Amino acid sequence: MIAQLIDLARRRSDGGADALWRRFERTTVAFEWGRLKSAGTTEEAGANLRVRHRGRIGVAGTTAVDGDVGAQHAAPLLDRALASAELGETLDLEFPGPPSPPVPLPTVATFFDRAANASLADLIGIGRWLLARLEREGCRVNVAIERETTATRVANSAGAEGEYRGTGFGVSADVWRIAGDDVLVVSDAFEGADLPSDAALAALVASINSRLDHALRVVAAPEGALSVVFTPAGLSALMLPVTQGLSGKAVLQGISPLGAKLGEQVFDPRFSLADDPLRGGRPASRPLDDECVPSRTLALVETGVVQRFIYDLETATRAKSTSTGHGSRGIFGKPVPAYTNIVVSGGAQHAGPVQLGGGLLGDIRDGLLVDELIGVGQGNVTGGAFSHPVALAYRIERGEITGRVKDAAVAGNAYELWKRVGGFGNDARWTGSRWAPSVRFEGVSVARR
Amino acid sequence: MIDRLTAALARSRADYTEIRVERTWSTAVTFRGRRLESATASEDQGGFVRALHAGGGWGVASFTSLDRLEAMVTRAGELSRAVPVDPPIRLADVPPHQADALLDLDGDVRGVPIAEKKRLIEAYNGAMLGVSDRIVDTLAVYRDEVSEYWYVNSQGTRLHELRPEVSLSGTAVARRNGTIEKGLESIGLRRGWSSVQDKVAGFREVAERAVQLLDAPMVKGGTYPVILDPELAGVFIHEAFGHLSEADFVYENPQAREMMTLGRRFGKPVLNVGDNGAAAGLRGTLPFDDEGTPTQDSALITDGILVGRLHSRETAAAMGERPTGNARAISFRHAPIVRMTNTYIAGAKGGGTFEDLIGDVKLGVYACGAFGGQTMLENFSFTAAYGRMIRDGQVAELVKDVVLAGNLFQTLDRIDHIGADFRWNQMGGGCGKAGQYPLPVTEGAPHVRIEEALVGGDVGKA
Repeated sequence: MIAQLIDLARRRSDGGADALWRRFERTTVAFEWGRLKSAGTTEEAGANLRVRHRGRIGVAGTTAVDGDVGAQHAAPLLDRALASAELGETLDLEFPGPPSPPVPLPTVATFFDRAANASLADLIGIGRWLLARLEREGCRVNVAIERETTATRVANSAGAEGEYRGTGFGVSADVWRIAGDDVLVVSDAFEGADLPSDAALAALVASINSRLDHALRVVAAPEGALSVVFTPAGLSALMLPVTQGLSGKAVLQGISPLGAKLGEQVFDPRFSLADDPLRGGRPASRPLDDECVPSRTLALVETGVVQRFIYDLETATRAKSTSTGHGSRGIFGKPVPAYTNIVVSGGAQHAGPVQLGGGLLGDIRDGLLVDELIGVGQGNVTGGAFSHPVALAYRIERGEITGRVKDAAVAGNAYELWKRVGGFGNDARWTGSRWAPSVRFEGVSVARR
Repeated sequence: MIDRLTAALARSRADYTEIRVERTWSTAVTFRGRRLESATASEDQGGFVRALHAGGGWGVASFTSLDRLEAMVTRAGELSRAVPVDPPIRLADVPPHQADALLDLDGDVRGVPIAEKKRLIEAYNGAMLGVSDRIVDTLAVYRDEVSEYWYVNSQGTRLHELRPEVSLSGTAVARRNGTIEKGLESIGLRRGWSSVQDKVAGFREVAERAVQLLDAPMVKGGTYPVILDPELAGVFIHEAFGHLSEADFVYENPQAREMMTLGRRFGKPVLNVGDNGAAAGLRGTLPFDDEGTPTQDSALITDGILVGRLHSRETAAAMGERPTGNARAISFRHAPIVRMTNTYIAGAKGGGTFEDLIGDVKLGVYACGAFGGQTMLENFSFTAAYGRMIRDGQVAELVKDVVLAGNLFQTLDRIDHIGADFRWNQMGGGCGKAGQYPLPVTEGAPHVRIEEALVGGDVGKA
């Protein structure tokens, strides 16, 4: 048991310990270029142990465990953690005890029988259903389906502990159209903890097909400082600097432009941002984090004002703050602060079918709709400045999408643009673990090449 | 271990079965600023089975508990039968090999105390911090591993290897008021402890450059003659062209196949490109790939003409070509897929020096180093670490935010001058594809001139 490991660690380290044990099983099915090609299974288990000894932190991980951490695995793992602590950093880390008086952990739906029990044939069936609706003349389709079940246990020497099971389901599809030297790829994915509903699969098909239909015609790129709408997927370039800047780690390092802006109006007043580990049905949700801190929904930006940064135990200790429950750890290495479900609010819910552009195109005389950029995450992201060629973008003329734009680049500063929001769309959706609508920004630089 | 794997193979009822087992010892020491962030030692182990029944697809199983080996061989066979594939998957012939290859460990990192590794990276980190008060943050990482590797397949191949790797990386962040700049140093070798000594100069240099970039202007966006330094030229050929030469992209996609028809002209006669998994001592070098195929030097572009591509046994059979030893997996957690090894633009005989390349450039950009690059097939974007303007045939002022963007076909065709000063870039990091990252690869090139390329920076500032 992980409890045995903690017991042993408590006896040999003078400053306590915490540990995570995780096991997962994954089943995958892949259709390559329209053909069912492979099926796979993965079984993996491992444990990660952190100790504090003589004021120093040591960490060790191993996959040499199976169903559990037996005594034969515990001793060598602890030896390595203590050896790591001999050179480890000095830190007054206190492992959080259980709440007093005792409070149960928050409940959140993370395990779905339908997903856990789905057969290989069910997975193949989903793939075939998608292929039948995505294949078209001159195009090739790849589809991948993935189902995962996980079991997690965390515990520390102060007596806090928790365990939960989870399921995850992923469906991704990409459609390739190569005409001469023009390569067009349109893709989308479903990610959830439960099996996707028929409506969710139909939405995936509609999303790919509508973006593909609009992309068949290539038009000239516009140029200048324009109204640009970023789809929920295209929004990554604008979101990445913000989430990096709100990480307690970047704040501690002194590289976050938001580090000194707590309580200040930095964004459009319609913009709010939260991290929510308690959303039911999301694969990133969990009742407690990987350091035994109970989960809670955390408002990071409210009506454009910076409220909080995310912290794990270590960054919180250094920042003389408290953990916000964002400790995330793998089998190897130490915990780091990480987001769970990022939720952007602003804009209205849609009624009826979602339109590409989220209803924000109407009064744009000449502009751009950006669905994917090349090179997001490169360069100095935290600083906010970006310049990216488009991978998939459309020209908007007199409120209508007139075709795909190939040779264009968009540039700007994310922090400045978040003050020049032209509107939030009615098409909010999950893209990976981010919930966001399309967002329109004014005066974005668009260059033609 | 080989006997145990061979016994497990014998139980398989599939027409083709292969098993890989890996045991990896690794250590990592990380400094952030003056602070030791972590020093860890890890042991990772696991196995991978892939099975193929006639008329079936690939059945694949990976696992961390070796007690599960026999069960996983059975499971992989069942999965293969569960996915009928028509036309059937075929594998190109590769003669069986038996080898016990112990690569040169060059000072086995497993015998070096972690405290010494800490001292080494602390010194390199200190060199970056010591450059200036403007260096507000650093990240310095030492990482090493030794992997013991076993591979068997049902066609008689039996391999045992001991594979070393060692890498150093440094990031220096310079800041003045709201301006933040960074410099990156990266060294990655398929060697050991002896090869990472005396590397302080490179760390100091990137920190100095980060400070200098604080005062450097942003490059003015536009179209210029651009000279790529060997590092950026290597990253460019890997990202922008190399991935298209991986046969899994074309073998079942008629349109892609047409785009990549052998014999098509890709560049001027001066352009020669290849991938060499057998080059001595490089990070992408191994005697065999993860299907037991010997590695080799494969010509991809010769005198500007597309002449070859990179294959696994499956893609080679499907296209009627020969396997090239490019089926690679990052670990036992993954199936082998078509990957590059050490990819290069060959130096041009009589291609001359860097000075020869810039001599007739009136106004151009010298783009150096790489912060990153991404390709969306025919479109690419690369962020250079820094640049220098070229004015009247001379290297002039430092500029920052040099982003190269363009269309692959046009850009390859505009390479008009290639130097003779070829070198391999022994960098860390690695290549990512289909969720498998980082795969150890190396790139090499001389200085390369593109007669006209789009440089973004403040492009589109309206």
